[in-house]
Amino acid sequence: MKDQRLETRVDTQTIKIEARKAQVYYGTNHAIKDVDVDILDKTVTAFIGPSGCGKSTFLRCLNRMNDTIPSCRVEGRITLEGEDIYDPRVDPVQLRARIGMVFQKPNPFPKSIYDNVAYGPKIHGLTRNKAELDEVVESCLRKAALWNEVKDRLAAPGTGLSGGQQQRLCIARAIATSPEVLLMDEPCSALDPIATAQVEELIDELRSQFSVVIVTHSMQQAARVSQRTAFFHLGNLVEFGETGQIFTNPRDPRTESYISGRIG
Amino acid sequence: MSLGPLTLIILALGLAGYLIGRRRAIAQVAGDIRKLHSLPPFYGRITALLTVVPALFLIAAWLLAEPAFIETKALSLIAAEDIPAGKSAALVMADVRRVADGVARLQDSGIEIAPLLASPSALKTALNGAAIVLETEPTVSTLAAAAALRDALASSRFALSIVALLLAALGLGFALSRITPEYRARNATERFAMWLLVASSLVAVLTTVGIVGSLLFETIHFFQIYPAADFFFSTEWNPQFRGGSSLGLWPLVWGTLYVSAIALVVAVPIGLMSAIYLAEYASRTTRSWVKPAIEILAGIPTIVYGLFALITVGPLLRDYFAAPLGLGNSSSSVMTAGLVMGIMVIPFVSSLSDDIINAVPQSLRDGSLGIGATPSETIRQVVIPAALPGIVGAVLLAASRAIGETMIVVMGAGAAAKLSLNPFEAMTTVTVKIVSQLTGDTEFASPETLVAFALGLTLFTLTLALNILALIIVRKYREQYE
Amino acid sequence: MTRVSLFAQDARTKSRNAAEKRFRAYGLSAIVVALLALVWLLVSIFGNGLPAFRQTFISFPVTLDAAVLDKAGNRNVAEMAKTTTIGYAKLLATSLEAELAAKGIDLGEVKSKDLTKMISEESPATLRNRVLADPSLIGQTVQVSVLASGRIDGYYKGRVSMESAAKDKNTSPEQLALADQMQSAGVLSMQLNPGFLTMPDASDKRPEAAGLGVAIIGSLYMMVVVLVLALPIGVAASVYLEEFAPKNKFTDLIEVNIANLAAVPSIVYGILGLAIFINFAGLPQSAPIVGGLVLTLMTLPRIIIPTRAALKAVPPSIRDAALGVGASRLQTVTHHVLPLAMPGILTGTIIGLAQALGETAPLLLIGMVAFVRDFPGAPPEGLFDPAAALPVQIYNWTQRGDPGFVERASGAIIVLLVFLIAMNAIAIYFRRKFERRW
Repeated sequence: MKDQRLETRVDTQTIKIEARKAQVYYGTNHAIKDVDVDILDKTVTAFIGPSGCGKSTFLRCLNRMNDTIPSCRVEGRITLEGEDIYDPRVDPVQLRARIGMVFQKPNPFPKSIYDNVAYGPKIHGLTRNKAELDEVVESCLRKAALWNEVKDRLAAPGTGLSGGQQQRLCIARAIATSPEVLLMDEPCSALDPIATAQVEELIDELRSQFSVVIVTHSMQQAARVSQRTAFFHLGNLVEFGETGQIFTNPRDPRTESYISGRIG
Repeated sequence: MSLGPLTLIILALGLAGYLIGRRRAIAQVAGDIRKLHSLPPFYGRITALLTVVPALFLIAAWLLAEPAFIETKALSLIAAEDIPAGKSAALVMADVRRVADGVARLQDSGIEIAPLLASPSALKTALNGAAIVLETEPTVSTLAAAAALRDALASSRFALSIVALLLAALGLGFALSRITPEYRARNATERFAMWLLVASSLVAVLTTVGIVGSLLFETIHFFQIYPAADFFFSTEWNPQFRGGSSLGLWPLVWGTLYVSAIALVVAVPIGLMSAIYLAEYASRTTRSWVKPAIEILAGIPTIVYGLFALITVGPLLRDYFAAPLGLGNSSSSVMTAGLVMGIMVIPFVSSLSDDIINAVPQSLRDGSLGIGATPSETIRQVVIPAALPGIVGAVLLAASRAIGETMIVVMGAGAAAKLSLNPFEAMTTVTVKIVSQLTGDTEFASPETLVAFALGLTLFTLTLALNILALIIVRKYREQYE
Repeated sequence: MTRVSLFAQDARTKSRNAAEKRFRAYGLSAIVVALLALVWLLVSIFGNGLPAFRQTFISFPVTLDAAVLDKAGNRNVAEMAKTTTIGYAKLLATSLEAELAAKGIDLGEVKSKDLTKMISEESPATLRNRVLADPSLIGQTVQVSVLASGRIDGYYKGRVSMESAAKDKNTSPEQLALADQMQSAGVLSMQLNPGFLTMPDASDKRPEAAGLGVAIIGSLYMMVVVLVLALPIGVAASVYLEEFAPKNKFTDLIEVNIANLAAVPSIVYGILGLAIFINFAGLPQSAPIVGGLVLTLMTLPRIIIPTRAALKAVPPSIRDAALGVGASRLQTVTHHVLPLAMPGILTGTIIGLAQALGETAPLLLIGMVAFVRDFPGAPPEGLFDPAAALPVQIYNWTQRGDPGFVERASGAIIVLLVFLIAMNAIAIYFRRKFERRW
């Protein structure tokens, strides 16, 4: 019933990722129940909900990062441009090149800033020569709004940057493989307010090229950066719709109590 | 009095001290223990400690010092002309000790010894009967020295019994005299115990002092009779029984480094790849079986590896590699020792590397996998570079272990000091020569024996440097991720 | 950029996945190689060593003729001792010859002198000791079971063949053929050999009689010394460093010191023992007390490190609780912290002891390698008597000429490994049983 209004909006934009009756189990624990979500192209989608509601788990299913956890099992259907990403023919490595990910804690590799960004293009063989690689690194650092701060010290270790810079470096690293979708798992939770503002601004700019999915525990952040919001509670997708509608006129009482601060 | 009963008596005195001390404390307050500063057992404990501990320390110190004292006394009785040319006083003393021992044993078996002592040849036969074989008939001064030795030992033990018992009694009396209701028995006990604790932790320091001191002392002694320049710069190792030896360090160091290098070439790839597989790929159950199985290799005594090199690996390499390739026909070789030592070192590399790889934060792996790297790309390009300092530390520790290893090279590498490149030739190492120079029959004060201390010092310095370097690197690495 | 379907792998992905497979295979093969090395080692040792526990015995009745053994006829042990082992050897040979004749076995080419050679040189001495211990046996006919010589034994263990016997001056193919006849007549047989564990070492020519008795006692004495010294000192040092020591330069020094001592090559401890205990203090060579002291110093850091870890693992809340009710710091440690840390301490101690038990190199330098046939006396004085030690006895045997000693050495390693496995099993049991997670 809640999807009915969405159906009408879907026509206007292409769907990148579509999840139908997605279930996630950790061993015997049923962590995600019957989730149906459409991720639209060139849109920021926010997943909100109280801690432990399964929003991060679900996010990690979208590029099969949960494969690294042995006890984790996914059922239902999740497709990228109509192709089931859990099909046995799918190579998760190729999938992740198209659906990149940025993590909660900035995790630059213990390499130079340049090598951090060049890592993805190198392993995927996206460039033919050094000049092209230089170009990719520069453009990604520019897109990540980091170029001006680091252009003189590209050979310096990435771990030497400040927290906000590190996270933008990680974003640059993730977009260097030119993914179609960028998953962000609470990308600002380890940052101070100024760095958070910079990253949020960046997310808004990235929307022109990518589809972005962001998990956040901050409702303000969801309201600021996203166009569409999904509210998770106890492993269920409670409500999914336009961000403005979710925050001003929630239809589900649980959404309302979360937004007004009664649960979570 | 012999040691066993003496110790038991002192312990019994201690127990008595505990009971008396306790009772005395209770008696002083007429049973109202609230008036005591400390609980009654503390009064007992301090009494027992003061009774037993000083006396036992005295016995231990006495036993350590006793041989040196009584032997000088016996040695002074040996006439200079009774020490044969080319033999040291120490060898004569060994005879003296054997005679003294044998006479005691004959006495124990109820044989009249007075007539034997008068006739050296009869004594020799009698001693032979008691399975004590003397090369020559004991000389008169040897017999006198042996008698003095026995007497000195007997009187020393007698004196020890008296002094130790006296000390125990004094301790007991002193402790009892101090017991009053105001006496802070608990504090006294704890102060006493604290001193014992401090003394225990000083044992480690004393061990180091002992190692460095004895190595340095004898090395200086060595350099006084053998030129240091020859030791450090000569490339020839050729000890002679009659003096005029060449004792150059380099052939030994070369052998040591060659064997260790082969060991590391075997152990580092196998150890590191096993650690990577266990840390990154293996399921929990595989890991819980395989990791201990590999660590068994570290728990096997080195003598076992030595025998394995001697009876299995050495002949195998000789028959199937060295001989067909025309590289020699020795079953002990650098390759034999290196290969076996490599097997021994695998767990040192793999355990430490495993810990270090596990300490690399998961977030780094996620970052790499999240943008589409394969696990092996992640390991090679992110995890290993991040863990590199720690892995280098692990390899250095393994190298130090290989350099200091003795039994495998004693049994597998051979005894010929050579500067050769052929890995199937027998070569020798620093540790092998320490063993052979110190277990040989040469006189202790000769350069051929003392060189072992210079070699020991070289070995100690080398391994210590590697260990400290490794510890610094590993510690730096740990700090990076804490 | 045109996107390809997720279901089709491009060439690059295929080669990357192949690289991934190869990498995994390298890891797996490294593990397989390591485990195979372990298996190879154990198979080699057990294959060579298991035969040491069985020995070829020759059983036949011997008439202990008083005319030979007790010429005076008064059963006086001192006078009977005048009959040497040579007399007993002759007696054994004639008795065996009589037995073979009774069983209808033709000696063929084997002369009676050669028949003596088929019996271990140790056997007459064993019989002599038996008679001297019990003079009433004289005059009786007793069934004896004597060790066959090393070569005959080697024949049944595959060490000696007809071809090698033809070139060997210690045996001959005829002797081996006779042995086969004796075996089918039931005179000669392979039996379990408890003497391997109880008898002392034997000389170079008698591998069949060599046993581990003195070595086991020597190792046991040393372990007792190590346990009695290293456990209390190690625990006291750990308690001081972990619970009481002020943080200053001096305690830092002690800590660095202990870490480095644990990594000092064991042979350096041997040099220390030689220089301090033997040359300086003048303690006897080959004595378990010296071996025990050297191993104690070597084991101390290996006990202190796990003990400190066990103490550290006891949560501070326990200490706070005890201090909070007015216990002194020492009481807190002895009443609460130590008992809780005890499983960890015992595990560490047992593993440290196991390492000390297998340690060889330092013992070589303090003269434990000497040939010792006499059992040491009872402790504490016996600690100063010469003795052997298990690992050194193994080394000793590998240096002997007779190939029979290789089997002995491997057999001794099995004994050593059994002790080590038992100790480690106890350690693991303690850890499993008392392990506590806070």
